Amino acid sequence: MDDVIIAILRSATPLVYVTLAGVIAQRSGIWHLGLEGLMIAGACATILGTVLTGSILSALLIAMVICIVASILFWFVVEKLKANQIIAGLGLTGLGLGGTTLAVESIFGSQAAVTAPTGLPRLGAMFGAYGTLSILVLLMPLFVLAVWVLLCRTRFGLRLSAAGEHPFAARSVGVNPGRMRLIALMIGGVLCALGGAELASGSLQFFSQNMTAGRGFMAFAAVIFGAGHPIGATFAALFFAIVGAIGIRAQLVFGERVPHDLLLALPYLATVFGIWLSARLRGGVKAVTGFGELRDS
Amino acid sequence: MSEEKQTVLECRDVGVRYGDVVALSGVSISFARGRIHAVVGQNGAGKTTFARAISGLVSPDTGEIRIDGRILPTGNVNQARQAGVELVHQSFALPPSFTVAEAMQFGAADGRIYSRRGLESRWQTYLDNLNVNVKAGQRIRDLPVETLQSVEIARALVSDARLLILDEPTAVLSPEGAQKLFERIRHLKDVGVTVIVILHKIREVLAIADTVAVLRGGMLVEGPVECSGINAEKLAELIIGPAARPLEDDQKAALTGSLDTAHAHLAQSVDQAAVEPVLKLTAVSTRPDSDGPPLEDIDLVIRPGEILGLAGVEGNGQRTLVRAISALAETSEGKITIEGLDVTRASLQTRRAAGLRVIPFERNVEGLSLTSALWENWSARELLQRPLLSMVRPTELRQRCGTALDAWEVHYSNVTQHAGSLSGGNAQKVILSREMDEQARLIIAAQPTRGLDIGATAFVWDSLNRARARGCAILLISSDLDEIMDICDRVVVMLSGRVVGTFTPPYDLADIGAAMTGVSK
Repeated sequence: MDDVIIAILRSATPLVYVTLAGVIAQRSGIWHLGLEGLMIAGACATILGTVLTGSILSALLIAMVICIVASILFWFVVEKLKANQIIAGLGLTGLGLGGTTLAVESIFGSQAAVTAPTGLPRLGAMFGAYGTLSILVLLMPLFVLAVWVLLCRTRFGLRLSAAGEHPFAARSVGVNPGRMRLIALMIGGVLCALGGAELASGSLQFFSQNMTAGRGFMAFAAVIFGAGHPIGATFAALFFAIVGAIGIRAQLVFGERVPHDLLLALPYLATVFGIWLSARLRGGVKAVTGFGELRDS
Repeated sequence: MSEEKQTVLECRDVGVRYGDVVALSGVSISFARGRIHAVVGQNGAGKTTFARAISGLVSPDTGEIRIDGRILPTGNVNQARQAGVELVHQSFALPPSFTVAEAMQFGAADGRIYSRRGLESRWQTYLDNLNVNVKAGQRIRDLPVETLQSVEIARALVSDARLLILDEPTAVLSPEGAQKLFERIRHLKDVGVTVIVILHKIREVLAIADTVAVLRGGMLVEGPVECSGINAEKLAELIIGPAARPLEDDQKAALTGSLDTAHAHLAQSVDQAAVEPVLKLTAVSTRPDSDGPPLEDIDLVIRPGEILGLAGVEGNGQRTLVRAISALAETSEGKITIEGLDVTRASLQTRRAAGLRVIPFERNVEGLSLTSALWENWSARELLQRPLLSMVRPTELRQRCGTALDAWEVHYSNVTQHAGSLSGGNAQKVILSREMDEQARLIIAAQPTRGLDIGATAFVWDSLNRARARGCAILLISSDLDEIMDICDRVVVMLSGRVVGTFTPPYDLADIGAAMTGVSK
């Protein structure tokens, strides 16, 4: 049983961090389709940073800085250049996926996976079987709680939500909605860097091309499934991780009798199911009518 | 005359331009402390811009604003709020998903972590003290407009406002709601708050304000003068200006909200009760959806040559009724006939072929495609009624569109220009020219004069009257009771998706108002 829970926590933790980034962005009025790109940038920067500096701490810092810079770029394109945020988000994802491959190739001369000498600190023997998990797994609930308090229990959170839901209302109490979105995206950049770091460096300590494999989009789905609430979205991310773990288990149990690809597709099927379910729960098409629109009059 | 009294707000030569459009120019005005000041003017006179410039939402290009003698840094809401200036918006600036308590908190000065219960009890006490009858835990989107406005005013008072600006606060209220609002405003005056109310009805100005200032075309033409020294006629002239043609009765009625001009022409249609109705709704109900309350058991009849007015506080099923008649909402029970034809399950195409025309609520969203050319917008009605594969000749359509638009006095330069480039009144005329053709039998006019100035309003009324004279049946939905009482042959009132009253002339404002708010007689 322990190994199942460990597997779930391993796959859920990166997803939860990135989901929180998506929740904050969504509240501020941005449907963040660049999560995938930020996540892989975080993963790549962590591994390359570890290889180049030898220190996981400075690698994490580098990853955060890179993700924050990329987020600011995204904000500039969406807010200042008034680009469509869906297209800009997908562009950011493309930049992340392509840019990381380019970075690996230009530094190491090949596209092979890069292995880092050290990974994130582990929990250690006092946690028994769970000792192999990284500290980011332990910190994950704290981050969820912190984001919840920030969004749902402070005036800052209210102003962030107002910036997304009714920018004019925000402006009329002296809040600059554009600035709120910048702050939201920068916090999101840090969270994506942590999510990417956990993915690459939390257990195996390597980076390979496209290693996020759609997790950023799954996080985006979790934001919608969780109705933009930090706790709800976290549970949605956990749900996706659990389905994924069940898929891997099922491979061991069923072996060759069930097509291997079908089982690997389970998390993605669950994502589609989750989106459908959340749309049903919130009354059909209504969930997507405000998609990408910012009201400001 | 305001020299002896203390001045709270002083504007010197304030000018605002949006691109090429001059919204305000050279406005110099000062307001005395502790009084109720009205600012009036037609649409586009710069009233809202004036309010926004003072409250920091809009940064003036010229001039300076002083509060209590100190220069206010312009274009900065935080500075204006610190100086005690708060603005209550025409369309409320409260995020719909927030609870009342959250809506109060997000504008407040205190940024600490709160608990939900603590927040709600704190703001509940605050709201109770202000006599706002609302639960702090209720969602903004669930509140009726009157309550919403009270909440917005309460929110504006959170930061100890000393100058409160209300932008067209009566536009969304029932007569009773307006009365309550005026009481609230007087109470604020008593506790020392200076109030500036932006209004467009003279009757309301004279009812509430101590002084009045008139804006026209972005300039100050009068005031502030004491309301006791001015009458409605004089004020109307100031608002309209030295017009090329003298005021027509319709225009005067639109402006002053006087009721005596009405109904002289109404008697003709009364004896037509036996005529076969154009529109007949029998016990129509719809299922609940996101767009206001569902219809419940609606019976409605409109005869040829009759304008039926549909009154009601906004959001009581008017939109759903229009959608049910125009096949956009499914009728779950009951029957709808147009010209005797049962169209309950018929498509909008079939209904339009039977003579249904709709002037929709949102002229820029439902009525026109703003990014399409005028002729494309204009010819949509006709093209949709043709067979799918029929040939379209754009050149001919453009020509005919030009002729039609000229006949409807639309000011445009070219039929290929985008509909978005027209002003509100001209855009509405394009819709009228499309929807009020010769084959029209039943015209649904949903808020056809909202946001239009007096000239355009009179034009719309005149068009409706002419359609009635041709024998069209007209359903006029309006939140402006004066408009409804002025031109309708019969008035029904909707409340929570039901028809709760039918009225015939002479109308009694109080009776209709009572039906609108559910205070039964």
